[in-house]
Amino acid sequence: METYLWITSVWGVYLGIAVFVLGMGLRIYQWATTPKSPVRLGMFPKPATKSGRFFKMLKDTLIAPHSAKIEPKMWIFAMIFHVAALAAFVGHLRILGEYPILPELLGGEHAMNTFAAYAGSIAGTLMLVGVIFWIVRRTFGPYKNLSVPEDYLLLFLLFGVIIMGDHLRFVYGGFIHADTYQEWFRSLLAFKPMFPEKLLSGNVGWSLGTHMLFTDLFLIYFPFSKLVHTIGSFAANYVRSE
Amino acid sequence: MEKVQLETLTGVIDKKMNRQLKQYIDICARCAICKDACHQYVGTGDFKYLPARRAELIRQIYKRYFDKAGRFMPALYEAREPDDNLLDELYDSTYACTGCRRCMYYCPFSIDTAWILSVAKAILIAAGRGNEMLGQLADAAIFKGDNAAMFEGVMLSGFDDISEEVRAITGDPEHRVHVNKEGADVLYVALAGAHSIRPAAVIFEEAGENWTISMFEAANYGFFYGDTEKARLITKRYIDEAKRLGVKEIVVPECGHAYRVAEFFYEAWSKEPMPFKVTHILEKVDDYIKSGRITVDKGLIEGKVTYHDPCQLGRNGGKFEQPRDIVKAVTDNFVDLTPNRAEQWCCGGGGGIVAMEEFKDVRLKSGAKKVEQLKASGASVLACPCENCRLQIEELNEVHELGMEIWQVIDLVVAAMPLPGNQKGAEATE
Ligand code: HEM
Ligand code: SF4
Ligand code: SF4
Repeated sequence: METYLWITSVWGVYLGIAVFVLGMGLRIYQWATTPKSPVRLGMFPKPATKSGRFFKMLKDTLIAPHSAKIEPKMWIFAMIFHVAALAAFVGHLRILGEYPILPELLGGEHAMNTFAAYAGSIAGTLMLVGVIFWIVRRTFGPYKNLSVPEDYLLLFLLFGVIIMGDHLRFVYGGFIHADTYQEWFRSLLAFKPMFPEKLLSGNVGWSLGTHMLFTDLFLIYFPFSKLVHTIGSFAANYVRSE
Repeated sequence: MEKVQLETLTGVIDKKMNRQLKQYIDICARCAICKDACHQYVGTGDFKYLPARRAELIRQIYKRYFDKAGRFMPALYEAREPDDNLLDELYDSTYACTGCRRCMYYCPFSIDTAWILSVAKAILIAAGRGNEMLGQLADAAIFKGDNAAMFEGVMLSGFDDISEEVRAITGDPEHRVHVNKEGADVLYVALAGAHSIRPAAVIFEEAGENWTISMFEAANYGFFYGDTEKARLITKRYIDEAKRLGVKEIVVPECGHAYRVAEFFYEAWSKEPMPFKVTHILEKVDDYIKSGRITVDKGLIEGKVTYHDPCQLGRNGGKFEQPRDIVKAVTDNFVDLTPNRAEQWCCGGGGGIVAMEEFKDVRLKSGAKKVEQLKASGASVLACPCENCRLQIEELNEVHELGMEIWQVIDLVVAAMPLPGNQKGAEATE
């Protein structure tokens, strides 16, 4: 198990982060160095001022009001997934270090762990719901016809990440808390990788390793997939109002 | 596929590529939110008309030849070469697209499918598969530009006839159609046909405008065909005339794509700033009414009136209110369609599709939403400032027995002007 952990949760993480950062950098560089469309592609109504257009871009990207109007069901599930993903991302920051203030507000470390357990369980479940909705949606009709293997690969990786994350949360969440993962993750950041004893005993290592395996693959594939919409959507929605 | 041919096609993509296209190709999530935005997909249920599917064909070629990940793992992206199967489907889905950009309106990333399809058209043309009809119409327009003298006699006598009709309507013996008048303020770029010139002439003359027309019409089949060089040459005909006559302003007629071409595309094609102010005729008319330069009477138009936003004038041109204000100035009995303005359904007649017989079936089916809207409005008169929309809606009107009158907006205005020779109704679009 220790070897598995070293591959997935040390070297895999380094590789995943490196490919992700370089890949996204390359994609942004490609966009930035391709000349702009000679035709103004904006549509109406559009705000008259630059700041108006900027805020409309933010609204169109973060809330997607037009999509909500035409396909409310899809919009709700997409919102559920993306908001839960954002929450999960913020939650994961705890493995970098404890939040400031929040533990005191909640009344100590124990309360903080309880809060994290609830928040994480909710976010993890909602993400799962969102991803399952998308997977099911891509199995029939025009959604299936429009899908290419890339779509299923991404959903598969995502499903793996989430299922294993939820597994860690629901099975081991009661007695392994952020401080343990923190020890491991900060050792990675310090380039002195190690695993605390708690992660090596019992079976938790298999779960963590698998969570990280899916995560590594997801990060590696991310820049070469349609998920570059995380950045591109802002640019494209700005052009809408230009 | 032969190597030379392939290189030609990929060369087209290379030449056309720009930042927005690349982003559109890279980021589409294939979420299919755009599917119910497209009147053609909704009207036919045919997968090839799903907006993202149309763009997907270009993405497949792009991934195969331009994208490292796509070349490394083509199967993952269904990347493939532009073989006959692909080009056949591309032809159908590209030339059928009316360029309404309703899909872009609803897409969470505002992906402009019609813009992606401009690359598709360039590919099809390079493969010798451009639509023949549109190509011929474009060439004919360019021929006319090069041989204007050949057409002059016939056109001048046509303008004389129209002047006669204008005088009969306004009762003013001085009124006429001004042709190639140097020092005019406004060049009105009409459509071919008296119906586009007569009511405009009545309005301009009554408003005391210093105006002129030239030999060249505003319609641009080079734009629909997808050849930017042809499209540029066709537009350049009237731009050159405007320069020669020294006008200050170009006024485009009730034609959707003509406005978009003049206001948004010509600068990009000619790589020079548009030297004139571009105005839509309905902006002018709205201004004349509001400033009292022409008078209109409410009550001369009978029946409930509704209004259709042509996509190129509304969502893509930003002229939502002026035409409505005009219609509301001539009648108290106005009702809007639902949805309207930026969300207005495309009638199904844009993009040159009315000129392509082979798409008649999908065109008529794609009008289903428009028919539904028109019926729900309970109106008996439709004002519609776009020639292609009117052709389509008139046909829908017949096929579905809606019994509506379809009017140009300027005809409606002339019919509402208290003029001696105004036989109301006679001016309804022929
Ligand atoms: C901020 C603007 C964003 C918008 C408007 C947006 C919108 C969308 C949409 C419409 C889908 C399509 C779902 C489908 O049918 O597959 C999607 C999928 C997805 N998005 Fe986003 N997204 C945004 C940001 C992000 C961010 C920041 C992430 C970061 C992780 C992300 C991750 C994903 C993932 C993992 C999927 C599922 C991919 C799949 O279905 O295969 N998105 N997004
Ligand atoms: S709505 Fe936009 S992102 Fe979704 S499939 Fe259509 S074009 Fe692609
Ligand atoms: S531009 Fe209009 S016709 Fe073309 S794909 Fe989009 S919605 Fe359909």
